[in-house]
Amino acid sequence: MEVIDSYGMMEPRYYLAWATDEAIRARGANGGFVTALLVSALETQFIDLALVVKKKSVYEGVPVLTNDPEQVKESAGSLHGVPWNLAKLLLECAPDKRVGVPTKPCDARGIIELAKRRQIALDNVFLIGLNCGGTVHPLRMRELAAELYGLDPDTVQKEEITAGKLILRYEGEGGATQEKGLKIDELEQEGRGRRDACKSCTTKLPVMADLACGNWGVPKGEQKTFVEVLTDKGAAILENALNKGAITVEDATEQSIAVRAKIERAMQALAARWKDELDVLTDNSPSERLAFYTEQLQRCIHCGACKAVCPVCACDEDAKCLDLHDEQDAYAISLYNLLRILHLMDSCIHCGQCEEVCPVDIPLTLIQRRFSERMQAHLDYEPGMDVTETPPYQETKLRWSADAKTSESEGA
Amino acid sequence: MRTITTNCPGCCIACGLYLLEFSTPELPAGELKLSLAHRKLAPMNEGKLCKFGMHLPAFYAREPLPTLVDGQETTQDEAIREAKARLERLKPDEIAFVAIPSAVTNEELLSFVSGATACGSTNRCFGFEQFLNAIPEDARSALTNGLPFFEIEAASKIVLFLLDPYVHYPLLARRILKARQRGAQVIDIAFAHNRRGIANETVLIDPLDPGSIQKLRDTVANSLIISEVTPYTSLVVISLVLRLAAETASQLFLLKPFANSTGALLLDSSGAEQRRDLFEILDRIENGSIKGLYLLETDLSAVVFHAAAVKQTLSQLDVLIEQNAFRTPQSELAHVTLQSEPFYRKRGTILTIEGRLLELGGESTNGLRILEQLGSNRAFAEVHAEVKHALGLGTAEPTEFEIVAPRVEAVVNVAPLPHREPEKPEALGDEHYVLWYKTNPFFWAGIRDKGFVELSPTALQALGLFVGDALIVGDAAEKTGFKVAAVPEKLIVSEDPLVVHEHVPWRELRESGTVRKVIVKRA
Repeated sequence: MEVIDSYGMMEPRYYLAWATDEAIRARGANGGFVTALLVSALETQFIDLALVVKKKSVYEGVPVLTNDPEQVKESAGSLHGVPWNLAKLLLECAPDKRVGVPTKPCDARGIIELAKRRQIALDNVFLIGLNCGGTVHPLRMRELAAELYGLDPDTVQKEEITAGKLILRYEGEGGATQEKGLKIDELEQEGRGRRDACKSCTTKLPVMADLACGNWGVPKGEQKTFVEVLTDKGAAILENALNKGAITVEDATEQSIAVRAKIERAMQALAARWKDELDVLTDNSPSERLAFYTEQLQRCIHCGACKAVCPVCACDEDAKCLDLHDEQDAYAISLYNLLRILHLMDSCIHCGQCEEVCPVDIPLTLIQRRFSERMQAHLDYEPGMDVTETPPYQETKLRWSADAKTSESEGA
Repeated sequence: MRTITTNCPGCCIACGLYLLEFSTPELPAGELKLSLAHRKLAPMNEGKLCKFGMHLPAFYAREPLPTLVDGQETTQDEAIREAKARLERLKPDEIAFVAIPSAVTNEELLSFVSGATACGSTNRCFGFEQFLNAIPEDARSALTNGLPFFEIEAASKIVLFLLDPYVHYPLLARRILKARQRGAQVIDIAFAHNRRGIANETVLIDPLDPGSIQKLRDTVANSLIISEVTPYTSLVVISLVLRLAAETASQLFLLKPFANSTGALLLDSSGAEQRRDLFEILDRIENGSIKGLYLLETDLSAVVFHAAAVKQTLSQLDVLIEQNAFRTPQSELAHVTLQSEPFYRKRGTILTIEGRLLELGGESTNGLRILEQLGSNRAFAEVHAEVKHALGLGTAEPTEFEIVAPRVEAVVNVAPLPHREPEKPEALGDEHYVLWYKTNPFFWAGIRDKGFVELSPTALQALGLFVGDALIVGDAAEKTGFKVAAVPEKLIVSEDPLVVHEHVPWRELRESGTVRKVIVKRA
């Protein structure tokens, strides 16, 4: 497992950092640290490419794989209404390049699971983790702007989540920029706001990445990024930016570190409450649950979208769920669905991408979570969180293969 | 890596998606791989795609059509000159222009009409001419009207008329399920129960007895009737449905199988004397009265799914001009071939069934330029302005979030509808079955996606079938698998086009529609 052994975990270090370039600072979120880091890495050829999401509007961003620092500068800023998961994209587009990728925790977890399955060489990938309180489906964001904020959605120029509020900045009368904010808690009580998968996600800090960046812990009013350095790679890319003079760095204070930890704990507690609320099957009997699974999964039209977007599925076309499934079979729940549930039990990160692209709205996140969470607890394994941990099913398979080989040779 | 915002050409919903073009180490320099990503901002599909949508990278990986004159490679300008010269040698009524509007923009539609007008052609076809010619003017809006999907979600009573949303238009299914969650009553009028379950109530009708539709008045009263109209839809059935809607104060919503069907229906201003039904054109080619055919982005053997018969018919043409991004089975017969760009590279607009004017994300106008050289030689901007003018949009550039297509409340005068009393149901012989084609985007692209048909346990026994056996359905040249399902005893359901070799007059083939009496045998 060379990929994992050479990864170079280290004791975390904490800083506040920001871009030295004024234009980058003005455009990027929290002092433009992440943009400056990637731009300097490209300019010094520390990395070959950056995989970033370029903003088209508040509601839309498109992935860009580029070696052009200008394109990276254009991608600066937060986009809560653009719920991409970049793991599969990275796998498909840049398997042999040194790439810098800003990642939400679920992006990073997907990439790490793919690396464990030898799909991505993690040595080549610099995971610039971003704190994440969750994302909003872009169409729901437009609806929010129109229905709850009373705005023409196309006039919204920027969105921001600060102190528990979703703030929309828009072009008001006379062209002046104005802003309106509503408490996320209140929006969500009305069934609006973040995606269900994000509401119930307890991984808020990207502590599995090379760097963990965000504004939690930054003193109020300061345009800086709180940076946690987690690996040697993280330290190297940070040092590269420092040597280039692209960033300014200061040590984070004990208070900053404590504030950040406190926000994380509060977000996790909220997520745990949502998880309970969203699991509509908790009080059902096993037969009621089976009836639910059957009713939901029999709608499947076998488009394959859930597998295509799954950030931890490493099987490509050579997959058991495809090989053993035949639409000619007349099972109420197809083998495709059953095998996917089984296969993802140790690796599902509950990112919700599968459910979001399902054309017939099967609640796949809920169903998968019912199975995989219990199994992951049983195996004491949190997928995508620790690069040094071997996936339990993979370990079993490897052990089984080794045992089989030994008994074969003994037999011979 | 290049990210292209585009739409699926697979049906009238025109789902939004991204196509990603990038190089990989395995590919030779200059070659690009195409991959797709889900575009969650697209209001018609919210990022979701059906199986055909997911298949698009492979669909676009087909062999490109080269630009040729009599099989010899040439320049585009030379091929256009040659096409024009050859068409000019024919009389206007000997030339047909056919464009099935799945990968054709609104701008290309207008340029195509302009090209047909320049040739004086009286045989223009976009796939729905039999209905446009037969349905009286005051009822035609039932054919052209679209419906925003939020209205489906808000409906209180929905009748699915011979339409399995999961198969025919998969992205419609979730809208109907949402309506059900909100308390709507959903009634499925079908030949067989929907195995995926979508309705509160199913009314089974006999496929050989269209007259039974008339007995459904109480069932459908005050509802939203959702059905589809395709080049193969029986005029008898559609006239019965129009009557039923009119007599029961119901709203009728007809889906269509091609991405820009609504654009074609609303923008083609050809008069009745210039429109010609597709199957009539094929018959006229056979009897020699049509000698020249211009095919735009159309694979005829896929649309009428009888490749051998299409080939036989088209081989009688003096002039066959094919403008397409990809090779088709007709390409080898074409005298002039003109390479256009694939749909995702096109610049232009399409009009969806909901009435959204979508701007495609491509940059190329090559296909339009070819057509304009045959006709008026206009620039893209001029044709685009004409599209907006025809839709009553002036200079506005609507976004995908607006519903802009004009919608006329149907004023259906029941009396003058071209109602033909359906014939008495025929009795089926022991060896006979009724084949029901559940059409879908793969079907219209000529792709056999499933490889099996559905049949009843009784049919299984009667045919003496065992696991692993195969069937021959009708005069299909290829075998097909089977799956036992809860369908009526004598019904065979196919989601695949089954290749038919027997060559019957084209009009007869159309009249048998998507329901056919066939002999089924164990292979």
